[in-house]
Amino acid sequence: MKEIGHGNFQRRIAIMVGAGYIPGLNAVILGAALAAGKLGWEIVGIRDGFDGLLYPDRYSDGGLLTLSPELVANLDPTASGLLGQAPRIDPFHVRRVNDDDMVEEVDMSDELLKRLKKEDIDAVISVVGGRGLSILFKLHRKGLNAVCVPRSIENDIAATAVSFGFNSALSFTIEMLDRVRQAAQSARKIAVVEVLGDQAGWLALQAGIAVCADAVLIPEIPCDLQTLAARLKDKVTPRRPYGLVVVAEGAKFLEDIQTQTVKPSVNSLKASLSPLATGDASDHVIRKSGQAAETVATRLQLLIAEETFPLVLGPWVRGGTPTAVDRQLALGYGAGAVRAVEAGSYGSMVTFVPPDMKFVPLTDTINKIRTVPSDSMFMQIASSLGIFLGREL
Amino acid sequence: MTPTTNASAPSGIVLNIQRYCSHDGPGIRTNVFLKGCSLRCKWCGNPESIAFKPELSYDPRKCTGKKACGVCLKAPFPEGGFYVVEGADDTIHVNWDLAGDCDEALASLCPTGALEMFGKRMTADEVLAEVEKDASIYRSTGGGITLSGGECLLQPDFSAALLKGAHERGMNTAIETACNVPWKFLEQVLPHVDTMLHDHKLTNTERHKKWTGVGNERVLANFKKAYETFPDIDFVARTPLIPGINADEEHIRAVLAFIRPHKNVIDYELLPYHRFGLGKYLSLGVVYELDDYKTPSDDLVKHLQAIIDEAFGRTGGTR
Repeated sequence: MKEIGHGNFQRRIAIMVGAGYIPGLNAVILGAALAAGKLGWEIVGIRDGFDGLLYPDRYSDGGLLTLSPELVANLDPTASGLLGQAPRIDPFHVRRVNDDDMVEEVDMSDELLKRLKKEDIDAVISVVGGRGLSILFKLHRKGLNAVCVPRSIENDIAATAVSFGFNSALSFTIEMLDRVRQAAQSARKIAVVEVLGDQAGWLALQAGIAVCADAVLIPEIPCDLQTLAARLKDKVTPRRPYGLVVVAEGAKFLEDIQTQTVKPSVNSLKASLSPLATGDASDHVIRKSGQAAETVATRLQLLIAEETFPLVLGPWVRGGTPTAVDRQLALGYGAGAVRAVEAGSYGSMVTFVPPDMKFVPLTDTINKIRTVPSDSMFMQIASSLGIFLGREL
Repeated sequence: MTPTTNASAPSGIVLNIQRYCSHDGPGIRTNVFLKGCSLRCKWCGNPESIAFKPELSYDPRKCTGKKACGVCLKAPFPEGGFYVVEGADDTIHVNWDLAGDCDEALASLCPTGALEMFGKRMTADEVLAEVEKDASIYRSTGGGITLSGGECLLQPDFSAALLKGAHERGMNTAIETACNVPWKFLEQVLPHVDTMLHDHKLTNTERHKKWTGVGNERVLANFKKAYETFPDIDFVARTPLIPGINADEEHIRAVLAFIRPHKNVIDYELLPYHRFGLGKYLSLGVVYELDDYKTPSDDLVKHLQAIIDEAFGRTGGTR
């Protein structure tokens, strides 16, 4: 609460965004600012993750941007850079160079909470992805009134149907796959395109459906490459001398799982930090972007007559402007977060459960991944369209 | 960072004691790895040595899962720190953001040893008793003790006590250091050192800052002052060779120009980059930052080694 004179108080809250670009960030901020303004609250934006709070001296405005009605009226919801971002948002392990010129990690969570108190900020809306949710949960346990908004290009955050940012990535992925298909058609080859999706195959599956790919390989279904090769032999004919295989970066292969002698194609270091960890600490490899596409393209080429070529969309699809769907979602998530604060629902995440916006405890979403269920409608659609999904379903 | 300061009963945080080593000083040696480092080299092969305090590690191969055990899924372990995935998989996973602060008391509750701590506090006498087990080997090979890390100079009281004690027991002493410490730490330790292996990671200070976290002005000043102040120490320069970062002639020649005027720098060794440390990153839940770099080719290493050999007057092929 901030005193505004004559014994009157105005509620003051803050909003921050986690690391990494994602389309629609400004729209979340706009949604929160409009909703807070309607309640008569003041809302400020924390610059560069938590840096604006931890290092106020670095900023001419003290690291906090007041989201005034004038600023909000002119805020472009198609952009994403209003508050800036920091590569790390973990106040428990802040890397710095100390007075002795030594690098160290220090716990600055106490300073963060003190600064919030000093600024009369009594709640923080955090727009964060998977790991950020755990950090905000830890801060909440320490006393921060936190409400989180899920952000995920890969749509893998549990407890919400759609994270904002996913639809924009999906749209661009589809556009790029259309172009790749034209290239494959022209070259009479089979394109193997890797898309984002380390642990959940939503992006590969939905984009693959949209472009009627020949096959979609996702982390949830270990792929039988022999069967894939057989299916492609049927599909690639003299009248249609090309193919398109969409592979999520976290795709797995049956032969690897069965033999256990080949290094896993997934990034098992990342996997070990995730709910889908394999638990295999002895045989791991740091996976480079593009490895899934290269694995499929190389192994397929040994099994079929046609030439294959790997391509990687990877982080390209993270950029750009938000689609109409993401703008609506982002505005809704921002407004929903203010409603959660108003309801005193701290330590929570706003979720989109069509047709409602709800709040769930952070414990319902951390340590979980929203994967594609085997009975998913999208699986059924893909199957009906004749898209091979890694094995015969 | 809290270097030890209690000189009356010196103790320090020891990561590991490794016997029968042959690459870190003369003869057969015992390497004592101390915890804590003042750099954050992105290629670091010993991530478990970076933090000064003991820290939790998890070996999933030792874990028997939720049904057979599940101890870490309940209090007093932190909520959300350990979990299983929905479904048939019984394996326990670690959320490092929530479990990373577990201490030794909590780790000791794990009945299978899947959870354990990297690093423990030991006294100098305890370490020396362990090192002394191979005293006869040291005598016959000219070996002894090598302090490594992390950065062993960050625990100057402890390091000095260990090396002094080793000298008193007739052992050869060596340290392996990057020298990003105040000079007073070196001044305290070096009187007890026979051989100093020291890293010339990058000669350009901006690039040094980019890849290790800080510039190299103090590091180079420490090297120079050490060469001049301690003429009886055998200094061996080293470079961890990483393609795209420092595996080039320019760096090697710059190091040679720096060390050759000092006759007590007796050698310059190349340490081709490897990725053996990755398993440790996994156990610690630390993300490896240098994930796209490869081991330098044999031809490149030979070429750079030939430049060094020539500078040291060892012409006639690779060593």
